[in-house]
Amino acid sequence: MLLQTLVTGLAIGGIYALMAVGYSLVFSVLNFSNFAHGTVIMLASYVGYYLLTSFHQPMAVAILGAVVGAAGLAVLNESLAYSPLRARRAPSLYFMISAMGTSIFLENMVYVTIGSHFYAYPEVFRHQTISVLGSSLGVLDLFALGFSAAAITVLHYFLTRSKLGTAIRAASYDMTVASINGVNINRLVKLVFVLAGSLAGLSGIFMGFKYIVYPTMGWITNKAYIAAVIGGLGSLPGAVIGGLVLGLTETLVSVYVSSIIRDVFSFSLLVVLLLVLPTGLLGKSLEEKV
Amino acid sequence: MVRKLTMLATIGLLVLSTLAGCAGGKPETKPEAKPAEEQVIKIGHEVALTGDSSMWGQSEKNALEMVVEKINKEGGVLGKQIKLIAYDNRADATEGVNVARRLIHQDKVVAIIGPAQSGVAIAVSSVTEPAQVPFVATTATNPKVTVDNNVLKKYAFRACFIDPFQGTVAAQFAYTDLGARKAAILYDVGSDYSSWLGKYFAEAFTKMGGEIVANEAFRSGELDFRAMLGKIKPKNPDVLFIPTMQKEAALAMKQARDLKIKATFLGGDGWASPDLITLGGSAVEGSYFVNIASLEDPEIQDFIAEYRQRYKADPVMPNPIMAVDALYAIVDAIKRTQSTDPVKIAEALAQTKDLKVLSGLLTIDPNTHDPVNKPAVIQGVKEGKFVFVKKYVTK
Repeated sequence: MLLQTLVTGLAIGGIYALMAVGYSLVFSVLNFSNFAHGTVIMLASYVGYYLLTSFHQPMAVAILGAVVGAAGLAVLNESLAYSPLRARRAPSLYFMISAMGTSIFLENMVYVTIGSHFYAYPEVFRHQTISVLGSSLGVLDLFALGFSAAAITVLHYFLTRSKLGTAIRAASYDMTVASINGVNINRLVKLVFVLAGSLAGLSGIFMGFKYIVYPTMGWITNKAYIAAVIGGLGSLPGAVIGGLVLGLTETLVSVYVSSIIRDVFSFSLLVVLLLVLPTGLLGKSLEEKV
Repeated sequence: MVRKLTMLATIGLLVLSTLAGCAGGKPETKPEAKPAEEQVIKIGHEVALTGDSSMWGQSEKNALEMVVEKINKEGGVLGKQIKLIAYDNRADATEGVNVARRLIHQDKVVAIIGPAQSGVAIAVSSVTEPAQVPFVATTATNPKVTVDNNVLKKYAFRACFIDPFQGTVAAQFAYTDLGARKAAILYDVGSDYSSWLGKYFAEAFTKMGGEIVANEAFRSGELDFRAMLGKIKPKNPDVLFIPTMQKEAALAMKQARDLKIKATFLGGDGWASPDLITLGGSAVEGSYFVNIASLEDPEIQDFIAEYRQRYKADPVMPNPIMAVDALYAIVDAIKRTQSTDPVKIAEALAQTKDLKVLSGLLTIDPNTHDPVNKPAVIQGVKEGKFVFVKKYVTK
């Protein structure tokens, strides 16, 4: 029972973590919360769905399509909604409002063009489970966890070991100084959005396989955002830990306390945590980001 | 300047996309001057012709037009022709009240068929009670549609069963037909429909001698039910009752099968959408749910064939059946009173007994204005299709 609960919690937490990393990445460089991230995840899920069903592509193509599509969308989003604000040095509140507007706009565009129907991905992993010590481990969950872990690890190495990653980390401390040192900030920001968008694409395709596809599915990113806050906004390991903590807390509360007061409990915990650690578990104000 | 223009264009696009979502909403049938007023009996129809519920509403309207035409061809009622006046209420309570006002005060209908949604029907009764014009709701299952705070609404009736009955049917089917002794419930704590249906099921099931081994809840909009399902699994229930709408039900069933829960899944009329199968895939195979009417019910095959022939499509269940039942009840009341006075029609409606309608025999309880022992249909999912299992009348 406990093992099953932990496994379920980790699987839910893994999805939160993957989405939370996208939030943290943008926050670390631009210092605002990109609320359009959830919408990009939703659109990526649609891309994956159509590639699999209407175009009958294999799964690898669908994943690639969703990732590339979401990355493109994220960059387009940045160019249209944030770049002009950045050029005018607008305060980060304006970025956030622009993000919310973009999100509502895109959601409504989906309603008008595709409609409000629910869609389900083809059953690639048809109730396949692995039994470990009496607990059922979903193959899809394992796949999702493995893939997310790999993606986050690759991202981590890219940020810490590569020249571009170093530039991103430098910009996250101080954009002006980084730009004086020869970093092309515009290109760098685009790169950050490519990375965040790719992660959104991955999240979208997992959401599609795990759940269903519909216009307001991006709401689940609210939880991912909260996970990012728990871990410390702007910190990638923090986002991962925050996601897992939230997933596990929710599941443990549902099982051992009550499923009805799950959200009451886990969000009270969040408030208490933030009172004790205002910058989250791993956030250290603006000293150490990414 | 260019920037301002771009901004204006974006705002324009936003406004357009919002407007596109709200298009429609005009009355479908305009009252005509002829035939001569005294030669027709006007019956109103409160229906959603646009919006999310329009697929059911349009099918209701088609079915009614077809049946009214048939009655008129056979000589009408009291020697007069029936005239159906349908207005779109968009399944919205405010619009529903406006439509009811227009039907009563402008068109002077003798009775109204619809609305289909409990929320709209409850709102509409605030107009029909003072105006003393009866309405027969089609698929509004909430008890409050006809009785509020133990006070009977004199002019509110319905053609469908109510949720306590639905819960009892589900429990009886689980206990007697599926032989279940241990049941678990997974319900939506944010929905009255879901939580009350779950409660009625639990009451009936325990009364019969069964045991509710788990009663788990989630919040509306939830996508992941595995925490609750993980808690249900070790209890090893024979049936898992999921009284929710199709989206949540399909997802919960998928995740339950992933967790290797072996129970038979059972649901209510909220499942009755083809989406259930599209979203649930193989997980919904072998599940059952209570419905108001089913396309496969052998007793309504003549009606279905006629509808198919005329509209080249299947009626969207269960609303057309309930709307036609309501029409038959009103016509029967007019015949019995030999009058088109709405007050007398309401009195006669309350006395409806063993009337042959599409869904079976209709008897209205004069104390609640709900149908008595209204048959419910049990549907199952077999090979990716809804199948008719049996018709059920609780004892």
